Amino acid sequence: MTIEKTEKKRIPLKEGLFDIEKGRLTGSKCPQCGQYFFPKRHVCLNCFHRDLEDVDLSTRGKIDTYTISRMVLPGSVMKEAPYGIALVLLPEGAIVQTVLTDCDVESISIGMEVELVIRKVEEDEEGNEVMAYFFRPVKGGSS
Amino acid sequence: MIKKARKLGRGVAIVGAGMSKFGTFRGMSGRDLVVEAFKEMRASVDKGFDPNDIEALYVGNLSSDLFEGQAHTAPIIADWLGMIPKPATRIEDACASSGVALREGIIAIASGLYDIVLVAGVEKMTDLPTERVTDTLAAAADAIYELPAGFTFPGLYAAIATAHMKKYGTKIEHFMKVAIKNHDNGALNPKAQFNSSIRDIMASRMKKAEERGQPVPAWRDEMDFLNDPQANPIIAWPMRLFDCSPITDGAACILLAAEEIAKNFTDNPIYIIGAGQASDVALHQREDLTSITAAKVAAQQAYEMAGVKPQDIQIAEVHDCFTIAEIVATEDLGFFNPGEAPKAVEDGIMARDGAKPINTSGGLKSKGHPVGASGAGQVVEIWSQMRGEAGARQVRGKDITLALTHNVGATGGTCVVHIYERR
Repeated sequence: MTIEKTEKKRIPLKEGLFDIEKGRLTGSKCPQCGQYFFPKRHVCLNCFHRDLEDVDLSTRGKIDTYTISRMVLPGSVMKEAPYGIALVLLPEGAIVQTVLTDCDVESISIGMEVELVIRKVEEDEEGNEVMAYFFRPVKGGSS
Repeated sequence: MIKKARKLGRGVAIVGAGMSKFGTFRGMSGRDLVVEAFKEMRASVDKGFDPNDIEALYVGNLSSDLFEGQAHTAPIIADWLGMIPKPATRIEDACASSGVALREGIIAIASGLYDIVLVAGVEKMTDLPTERVTDTLAAAADAIYELPAGFTFPGLYAAIATAHMKKYGTKIEHFMKVAIKNHDNGALNPKAQFNSSIRDIMASRMKKAEERGQPVPAWRDEMDFLNDPQANPIIAWPMRLFDCSPITDGAACILLAAEEIAKNFTDNPIYIIGAGQASDVALHQREDLTSITAAKVAAQQAYEMAGVKPQDIQIAEVHDCFTIAEIVATEDLGFFNPGEAPKAVEDGIMARDGAKPINTSGGLKSKGHPVGASGAGQVVEIWSQMRGEAGARQVRGKDITLALTHNVGATGGTCVVHIYERR
């Protein structure tokens, strides 16, 4: 896991998805059945228990499925195509939808090991650094 | 959970159906398109009817708000059709909006509240530039979570395709064969946006290059054309341009009547004998990425209500917003075992002259995908095919008495299935 250092005030692109200081994605854990979720949710999908706990999720996982986008979309964190998008399965069982960064798109495969990166994507009008999360291949990881 | 099989309070029949042409219509608003569809629907009612007898309107529409800057669409359409002061309600369930509007119309008649209901579907999409259309459609995904992760619909369906390839060995060529089949059907549908086969599209591009004195591409056949990254660029791997349904303007109308009065309108009504609808979580929270649970549940409800099995269904219109979606749909509906739809496409089973014709209209792929009208448009095809009125694309050698439609919202957050019978 990497949090890239910056001088200015850092704010998340979307509130509630990750903790910038800890460098961790924030998910939910069901205290009743133990299921994990990302993003946070209010009701357990497995047992319908309410009052789920906020938890920091693992920063490494494996690609469950993916695509390679050839289009840049308005408002997207990616300003250049092509780029990989994946569903990453974390060891807890939660699945994270994410853009893949720092990788050759042709090398992406199902089962590949990837790790979390929290990175500045732009500056807003007030000069805050807007941070978003990505995953990238683990160096020397299985692919 | 209540596991009881459900039935309608009383029978409901389709007594008229029609649609506008699907395509790009500058200068026409959504309400104008509904009027086109209404006129054709009215002409399809064999014994005629008085529009004043319609008691309520249900309109499927995804986002007239963002596409046209027009909210509160239903009463405006009612006004345009001369239906004031009849109640008019808009139903929004993404691309399943008019399939769900049909369901609401059925429920309203089955409850005994109304005898005659008009169901419409409409979307006017082409006033916005493509990237803003993609943006507007993407609002039907999970806007808080899926969009910042870079996923829009081509990406989400592409991710389903990647998983299907990994699990079942499905090949890119299978997706291409779905596109070729649906374009072959659409070529025979005068209402289709892409009213030409892929072979014709290929030939016309070669001719154009020749006329302009440019080098003529040496495509051997459709597969060769579809494999050419210039002709068929990748949108989101493994989905290429010809795997995606287009941006479309269009509308469709269906006239429903209580079964006991259906014969006042036609001697040949189409009865709705099964109806199912279900919801699902976003893609990342699903156990299996190669199937859509809401489709399985909705189909199960419809089969149970109708008392029929998947193998009894003779033809179906399924939601092929992307070619992979048709493969997943025909597996979810139980027409083929999981992982076996790709081979069925390859063997021609889903072709118009195959054992199980799928998307004889050309599907959303070739006929066009005016999102809020697509579900109602499917019903227009089933109505025509079941009554033997589908012209050049009429399925031959089958007396069609049982048919099905399958309409999906987004990646299966909503799915609605109906089963139709001709007696």
